[in-house]
Amino acid sequence: MRFRSRTAIFRGLQVWSAPTTVGAAAALLVAETALSVRMDSVSKVYGFLWALRDVRLEIGAGEWVGLLGPNGAGKTTLLRVLAALAYPTAGGVELFGQELSYGNSPLRRSIGFMASGAHLYDSLTVSENLRFFVSLYRNDVNLDERATVLNEVGLHEKRDEYVSALSLGMRCRLAIAKWRLVRPRLLLVDEPYGSLDPSGVEVLNRFLEATCASGGIVVLATHDVPRLLERCTRAVMLDQGRIVFDEPRQDPWHSFHSAFDALLSQDSGGPR
Amino acid sequence: MNGALGQIYWLLWKDLLLEARRRDNLLSMFFFGLSLLFLFSFAFEISSENVSRMAPGLLWLAFMFSGTLALNQLFQGDRENDCLDALLLAPLDRGAYYLAKVFFNFSLMFLLELCILPLFGILFRLDFWHLLPNVLLYTLLGTLGFSVVGVLFAAVTLRARARALLLPVLLFPLMIPVILATVRTLQIILGAGTAAELVPWFRLLVGFDLIFITAGFLLLEWVLDG
Repeated sequence: MRFRSRTAIFRGLQVWSAPTTVGAAAALLVAETALSVRMDSVSKVYGFLWALRDVRLEIGAGEWVGLLGPNGAGKTTLLRVLAALAYPTAGGVELFGQELSYGNSPLRRSIGFMASGAHLYDSLTVSENLRFFVSLYRNDVNLDERATVLNEVGLHEKRDEYVSALSLGMRCRLAIAKWRLVRPRLLLVDEPYGSLDPSGVEVLNRFLEATCASGGIVVLATHDVPRLLERCTRAVMLDQGRIVFDEPRQDPWHSFHSAFDALLSQDSGGPR
Repeated sequence: MNGALGQIYWLLWKDLLLEARRRDNLLSMFFFGLSLLFLFSFAFEISSENVSRMAPGLLWLAFMFSGTLALNQLFQGDRENDCLDALLLAPLDRGAYYLAKVFFNFSLMFLLELCILPLFGILFRLDFWHLLPNVLLYTLLGTLGFSVVGVLFAAVTLRARARALLLPVLLFPLMIPVILATVRTLQIILGAGTAAELVPWFRLLVGFDLIFITAGFLLLEWVLDG
């Protein structure tokens, strides 16, 4: 994996030395550098269960990838591997040109993982949670900035309430506020739509779009296909740990619908 | 505050705030430690002749058992709502996380000891108030030794199913040097030895604390992310 980025640099040098092939080689170089996430033959095994099998995925800057699949397909495992919270059993992950290592890694500053309702301390208030988690990433966030973000997600009035008193939707809004302040380049989102009301969905979508517009990447796992199709730029379907569909958005998107129908009928059908 | 120091500050702030709101750790430690001392005072025949030799051992048994209670709960707050995942996801220096947990556990233990020591004096009819600075110094060093090893092993057993059982099984054998040193020094301070005898035990305690704090600082990354 490490050698791949060196190959990209070498290709770049070739561009300088061979003016006749500038166009093609430059395009290749741009494609290499714009590529921000690369999963290379990643497999993950829990005991005897293959959660991911030989997953190859490449995501470029600015993409919003919708991750779909039935329960147990491996969506959350894929997100956890990308978040460096789970080791791949085989294969490797490269983020922004660097191999993703585990433990103390500067790359962690670029990764956000929004899990619905989780990752918040029940016995701390809304503003304490925000202050604590954001301080682990940045130490230049002032009171005004926090207040503005809380206002934008509709939680300013609840800033002194304990998280244990919040509904799942409000916890999700607090998670949005946290990641808005942290501004990660890769944002992984696990099933957010189930707990949010329509205005919350709008707040989330606006935030995710802004992340992509600034060159970030969003990978969102959900079962809410209509909502996802409104915004995503690419869909990836997983089944039994394998990628069975991976295409950029098209209008109309017949191939997606037929692949999704096939996945649904397979999932509700008999033995596979 | 920047870097690892800032992270230690915020982690400690969070742990102390959670403990201040719940208070379950400190209260259970205090009542468990007190009950043990109370039972020991009845279970053993302690006279004025043997009190300085027996009481230190009983005191440290009470500290260790109630400290183990605290260690079992040490990561509980971070396990709720998968907050530990949120911490591991963050660019958090694992060494800073270890030190914050050590400081937190050490503060809890020391607070417990400050509450228990006067009651220990009353229960065992020991007048050690004029020796308090020495008693506190060795208690501090012993408590630090307990915390630096205890936090590391609490992290090792974090994901184990029978961690309440596993933790003391792993921890207690490693605590033997600390127990030996703290009990012996307390015996010497209370009159069962000469001041010169304190020096080797002092060195042992300081060495133990330094070795294990370095080991924990370096190893926690492998323990948590491994």
